[in-house]
Amino acid sequence: MNWGTKMADNDMDLNQLFAQARQTRPELPDDLAVRILTDAEEVRLDRLKPAAPPRSIWARILDGLGGWQSMGGLVAASAAGVWIGLSAPGFLPDPATIIYPQETSFVVADLGLDTTFLEDAE
Amino acid sequence: MEDLTSPPHELRGASGAVEYSDDALLRQFAKGDAVAARELTDRLAPRCLSVAMRMLGNRAEAEDVTQDAMMRLWQMAPNWVPGQAKVSTWLYRVTLNLCVDIQRKKRPDSLDDVPEPEDGELSAVDRLQDAARKDALQAALAQLPDRQRQAVILRHIEELPNPEIAGIMGVSTEAVESLIARGKRVLMAIMVERQDELGYEDG
Repeated sequence: MNWGTKMADNDMDLNQLFAQARQTRPELPDDLAVRILTDAEEVRLDRLKPAAPPRSIWARILDGLGGWQSMGGLVAASAAGVWIGLSAPGFLPDPATIIYPQETSFVVADLGLDTTFLEDAE
Repeated sequence: MEDLTSPPHELRGASGAVEYSDDALLRQFAKGDAVAARELTDRLAPRCLSVAMRMLGNRAEAEDVTQDAMMRLWQMAPNWVPGQAKVSTWLYRVTLNLCVDIQRKKRPDSLDDVPEPEDGELSAVDRLQDAARKDALQAALAQLPDRQRQAVILRHIEELPNPEIAGIMGVSTEAVESLIARGKRVLMAIMVERQDELGYEDG
């Protein structure tokens, strides 16, 4: 083909090349079709998997706290705290005197008792 | 409204009188119909491959782009809104974008792709001439700017109407017409220039 001729001829030649290109469009090779359909099957099966059942609010809170194991430790520590509060062992100071030491002095003074033993102690 | 209660393959007669739209097939696939995937692959994958081949001029890359574009179609299926756009329009756009990505990655190293001439064999120029003679159009297309190449391929090889090309490329129909006209002018100029270099003979 001669591209040096008139513009209209060139246009015609270009159209011929386009026509040739349309006729030689590649067919889908079998191995590519298999690759594509394998992808489709993976996506399809993945979508068909049953969704995980919705979790209750308590299960999610438990997860947030670290599961049953850490929950056991948390319960034991809380129970120990309550027990120490209610009946402190002998070697520990009375929690009441730690929390309300001044009020205790007031109570004793108000009763008009001898409080010198308290001053001596200080 | 199409009846989508049965798989499409059961309703297709030998004459092909009942044919489902790409939209309907994509919905069937999203619902779990594997046969719909086969039909969509038969219809759409060859178009991806054809465009990618012309855009990239490389078979292996074009096949990878086709697989990648189809993968995106499968993943997108549940989110597809029927009637909003044509499935093929969406897929052409994805294909072109993937081609552009590959071309961008290759561009800095493109000089390395040209083989060095070896003693006693065809020179690089001879080899290029040989390749170009085999597909003069491909060689010329490769020199077009991306957008012009896209528009020319979609119009003259895929034979899509300009409004659809406009939808694929995200520009106006007038812009598409302009891109095609400029692209064809450049192609003709390249052909004229190459005629002497490549030693074309009449006929």
